[in-house]
Amino acid sequence: MMSLARTVWMACLVALATSLAPARAETGLLEQPFFKERVDKGELPPIAERVPRTPIVVDLDDRKRTIGRYGGDLRTLAAKARDLRYITVSGYTRLVGYDETLTLLPDILESVDNQGDRVFTFTLRDGHKWSDGEPFTTEDFRYYWEDIAKNEELSPSGPPDIFLVDGELPKVEFLDDRHVRYSWSKPNPRFLPSLAMPRPVYIYAPAHYLKKFHAKYSDPEALAKKAAKKKLTSWAALHNKLEDPYGASNVDMPTLDPWRIVTPAPAQRFIFERNPYFHRIDAAGHQLPYVDRVVVDIAAGSLFAAKANAGEVDILSRGLATTDVPVLKQGEAAHDYKTLLWPIARGSAFALYPNLTTNDPVWRALLRDVRFRRGLSLAIDRHTLNNALWFGLGTEGNNTVRPESALFSDTNLKQWANYDVDEANRLLDAAGLTERESSGTRLLPDGRPAELIVEVEGEAADLIDALQITAEFLADVGIKLIIKPQESANLRQRSYAGQTVMVAAQGLDNAIPTALMQPTELAPVRQDNFAWPKWGQYAETGGKAGEPVDDPGAKLLMDAYDRWMTSSETSDKARAWQELLRLNAENQWTIGTVSGAIQPIVISNRLRNVPNKAVFSWEPTAMLGAYRVDEFYFADEDDAGPSQ
Amino acid sequence: MIAYLLRRLVTMLVTLLVISALVFIIIKLPPGDFISNQIDELRSQGDDASTAKAEMLRAEYGLDKPIWYQYATWVGLWPGPHGLSGLLQGDWGWSFEYQVPVRDVVGSALAMTMIVNLATIIFIHIVAIPIAIYSATHRNSIGAHLATFLGYIGLATPSFLLALALLFYLNRWFGISVGGLMDPQYNEEPWSLAKIGSVVSHLIVPVVVIGLAGTAGMIRRMRANLLDELNKQYTVTAKAKGLPPTRALIKYPFRVTLNPFVADIGNILPSIVSGSVLVSLVLSLPTVGPILLQALKMQDQYLAGFILMFVALLTVVGMLIADLALAVLDPRIRLGKRGA
Repeated sequence: MMSLARTVWMACLVALATSLAPARAETGLLEQPFFKERVDKGELPPIAERVPRTPIVVDLDDRKRTIGRYGGDLRTLAAKARDLRYITVSGYTRLVGYDETLTLLPDILESVDNQGDRVFTFTLRDGHKWSDGEPFTTEDFRYYWEDIAKNEELSPSGPPDIFLVDGELPKVEFLDDRHVRYSWSKPNPRFLPSLAMPRPVYIYAPAHYLKKFHAKYSDPEALAKKAAKKKLTSWAALHNKLEDPYGASNVDMPTLDPWRIVTPAPAQRFIFERNPYFHRIDAAGHQLPYVDRVVVDIAAGSLFAAKANAGEVDILSRGLATTDVPVLKQGEAAHDYKTLLWPIARGSAFALYPNLTTNDPVWRALLRDVRFRRGLSLAIDRHTLNNALWFGLGTEGNNTVRPESALFSDTNLKQWANYDVDEANRLLDAAGLTERESSGTRLLPDGRPAELIVEVEGEAADLIDALQITAEFLADVGIKLIIKPQESANLRQRSYAGQTVMVAAQGLDNAIPTALMQPTELAPVRQDNFAWPKWGQYAETGGKAGEPVDDPGAKLLMDAYDRWMTSSETSDKARAWQELLRLNAENQWTIGTVSGAIQPIVISNRLRNVPNKAVFSWEPTAMLGAYRVDEFYFADEDDAGPSQ
Repeated sequence: MIAYLLRRLVTMLVTLLVISALVFIIIKLPPGDFISNQIDELRSQGDDASTAKAEMLRAEYGLDKPIWYQYATWVGLWPGPHGLSGLLQGDWGWSFEYQVPVRDVVGSALAMTMIVNLATIIFIHIVAIPIAIYSATHRNSIGAHLATFLGYIGLATPSFLLALALLFYLNRWFGISVGGLMDPQYNEEPWSLAKIGSVVSHLIVPVVVIGLAGTAGMIRRMRANLLDELNKQYTVTAKAKGLPPTRALIKYPFRVTLNPFVADIGNILPSIVSGSVLVSLVLSLPTVGPILLQALKMQDQYLAGFILMFVALLTVVGMLIADLALAVLDPRIRLGKRGA
């Protein structure tokens, strides 16, 4: 009786929440056949008691998607068990998350009240539960904050740096079961975007589960024994190992994601089952996800294309490359799948990073000369690169944001990115490289030939191809480019130590930013940016290592970055972004070539609600995450209708 | 004999100890350690891995300790955080990458590796020995030339290329799933006849591919050895005295040509575990090879160290067995000191 009343009430609520939704909502929530047996046996409460009282009702009509049906196994591949994190990424369940239009919306949270980026009040969904049926409350936030982030054994270096604003930690208040408030005295614009990342900062943890492994709540001696059994030295190490919401390595830890892992490692095949308590439903009363299980087979990366060609996957993106497209297309008809070709949202598929903090004083001075960098950029024929390597499908220009972003400007794309050998020669002469040796190679000011050693990750075949072509272009202007493939760890070490002169790599990771996203890639604040590793070190370590920014041009970048960090107005942030993009294009800190390389995505023909064309990226779309994989469903065998 | 055995055992132990030190040093030689490698790998894939927990993990794994200490606790010569517990005590260590004891990582992979490589060795012998005998006894016949020709092709074809081509066509013609050692759906099922059938059908490609080069090499060696013996006087005498041709072949010359193969046991035994790394990698076989490669790349030091030590152990044991077996097979061979 109770449950019936609740169902009716639920249904009303659903109808209310979706005034645009079809009238079918009145039928109430539909139990999944997958759980029917367990519900009938009483092992699992019926669906009406599992869904939060205020679920997200996804608006499928609005995005030209259709109401789906329950069932099916979504088969995909991973190269190793650690790559199961891609399921967490694609499941894309965050406190707040981006939708397809990259608007930041509450997801796990019912609502967020943001006052000037200083005070954030989170409201949880009433009746929201973890995948094991325990309530999800502010206790889970308190546990994270007081017992994990501020526990010296679990977090020796203190809470994650998104909580720090000029060294200040927030005041955290747990108002009641469903409300939690974080407040700082200065704006912290990074806070919300960090929660929406493909790899988010988890600021909550399943307290009821983890308390069993926390010395504050459990007998330390028993914990020490448990830890020793797993070859760990302390309870903290055990706690750390078990709390892995991102890596999906612990089958016992409850989750809020659409699917939860049920296969313990090591295995050749990992199964994820639907989370019975997931908080999204559709207008017809289906609880998402539509697909019952995600099945991940472990296979060598070199076999991904072959296995897709043999029809062994329903969905696969990561691990496929442009070069695989012919193989993928060839198997389409025989194995009932299609290959979607989405542009990759990167600033550039191939970019050169002059190391402004390199150890060699002569090269350092030269690389810091804007005329030299512009000269190199003008000497590269981007059109030929595009035709030779990306079927002519890419966009030629600088390493900047893509047209899909509101921050895009045509000037930033094209400035100093045309092909003009005469002007390039003039600029290189002006930079002081007037002397040449008999072979035509210019001489550096100290008399050495201008042999530009470009280091590159040895496994990145496309980058090496691009470098070989670029070497010809640079030879035309008297610069001898020498390619030095490296093991990636080695390359990073050398870069951090200032031993590289130039590195070839891909461009901006996030090339479809909104003004609210942190512009870390455009200013010298990270050491893993090959253009300024030592400046980045300085910023990352708070001045303990590396070198302070001592170039007037780069100082302007820092100023703009600081303006972004301290502003709470979206318009100010947008201005800071545009300033950063303009400075980057003008100064050619990195030399971009062609963007919009293709990501092939293999999708079973039976899978519905998959957009045909969209932008692929790690950040911000979390691979396919922002396109909501939980809304994908398998059509009936006889349903031959086109997807959308 | 017993004194000889004891002497050999002591030498083996010393050899293994030296190998273990070398292995450990070489694994530790590249810059960085497992933690920094993992962070680098995640970052290079766009993942904003945090360095916050790095120091803690480094301390937890003991990677902040001096290298001699890490080595000594691994071998079990020095008490670690869990007391004296290392290779000598039968504790194989902990895999950072898989987050389970090395035993659990290697266990099932070892079994699969042995199945694949044993099947390959059997394949090689079954195919190579008859062909070698045929081509030695029927020199300059068309069949012998054909066998030689095929043998050279087998030697010259890059195995990974052949592997990919075979995978593709077996999938297309016979519907055998690409890569792995069984159809993916059997991974979660208990052993059954159908599962065994699936394993057998998936063994075809690796066994043929790995075995091809070995078969070709073996045919050449066996044939050469046999030809030497066939021209010797005792064979001629045996034939002249009217011994039936088969007996004259199998009883004497064939037995002599087996010596190099018995001596080979020392090499075959370790290759049962470590052989076929490249092909396993290409074919995505759940064997030790890919695990070892990944462990070396990531500096998952105890996992890599254990696999390499295991291979070393098999090598020294194989050598010993080979020496003993040779003495049994060929009475002319004496063990121990020269002239003793």
